[in-house]
Amino acid sequence: MSNVTAAIVRRVGILILLLVCCGALADSTVYAQASEQTKEYIPINELPPAEQLPAARLLVAAYSFVLVAVFLYVVSVARRLTAVQREVERLEADVKRTGRA
Amino acid sequence: MPKWFLPAAVVCALMFAATPIVIAYAPFESTMGLVFKIFFYHMPSAWMFLLGGIVCGVASVRYLISSDARHDRTAWAAAELTVLFGLLTLVTGPLWARKAWGTWWVWDVRVTASLVSWMIAVAYLLLRRYGGPGSEKLAAGLALFGMANVPFIYISVNYWRTIHPATSVVPTLPVSMGGPLWFCVASFFLLFVLLFKMRVRLEEQRARLDAVYLSLDE
Repeated sequence: MSNVTAAIVRRVGILILLLVCCGALADSTVYAQASEQTKEYIPINELPPAEQLPAARLLVAAYSFVLVAVFLYVVSVARRLTAVQREVERLEADVKRTGRA
Repeated sequence: MPKWFLPAAVVCALMFAATPIVIAYAPFESTMGLVFKIFFYHMPSAWMFLLGGIVCGVASVRYLISSDARHDRTAWAAAELTVLFGLLTLVTGPLWARKAWGTWWVWDVRVTASLVSWMIAVAYLLLRRYGGPGSEKLAAGLALFGMANVPFIYISVNYWRTIHPATSVVPTLPVSMGGPLWFCVASFFLLFVLLFKMRVRLEEQRARLDAVYLSLDE
């Protein structure tokens, strides 16, 4: 494995480790909050704006992410496919021109 | 590309354009309200994620038995789709959970097993990309673990304590919710087939390129 490859693999590994650690931390915080006893009910419109969590924003985010990710993947596969097909055609033309089978 | 590819791609694009309209007609779920509508993209993504894992695993088994490179190419294409649809599932799930459960993430059995399965698919791709010669068989072995995880992910909610809905939710959906859901499942399935066809075609062209280079070397 080259140095560049090893560096990429190392960074991906560190990223995954960080994601897992962040998830574990967030989860333990939620359990700590959930275990607290409810002392009063608060109407949702009296919550601070940051805690009201409008569902529309989450819904739009979810749909947008799906559509953008699929679009980017289609573009990525199409570009790779075009590049490989061009390379194949160029090489096959070279083979024909030079008469090598 | 086969003749059916372009018409199928047009149909798929039209179906995806229609999904927001179809979903808008579905009623809100009683406790979750508007955010419930993420379900119509989340669940089909999750099913395609599991389908990708199964296709990759079956193709890997066939490759390990026959050493036929066609099965290896199929497995590689399916692994990439497993990563794509897994990512869609693992992103749309927390966006839904934040409102429905009050948290972005829980380490419940289905979520954790899905993350593990997704990481196995990522590991498969990294192995194929950087593993060098001989990594095909090793990756095929890895794909078996991914496939073994699929039934576990599906049935886990029925056997472990979790806040994930049980598998009984989908069969008991009323027509007003089930109709839009199955329309979305059909759209995602068609998308999966088209992407899979494109991705397999890419591997076939790469194999053709290798063959041309080999013929030049000889």
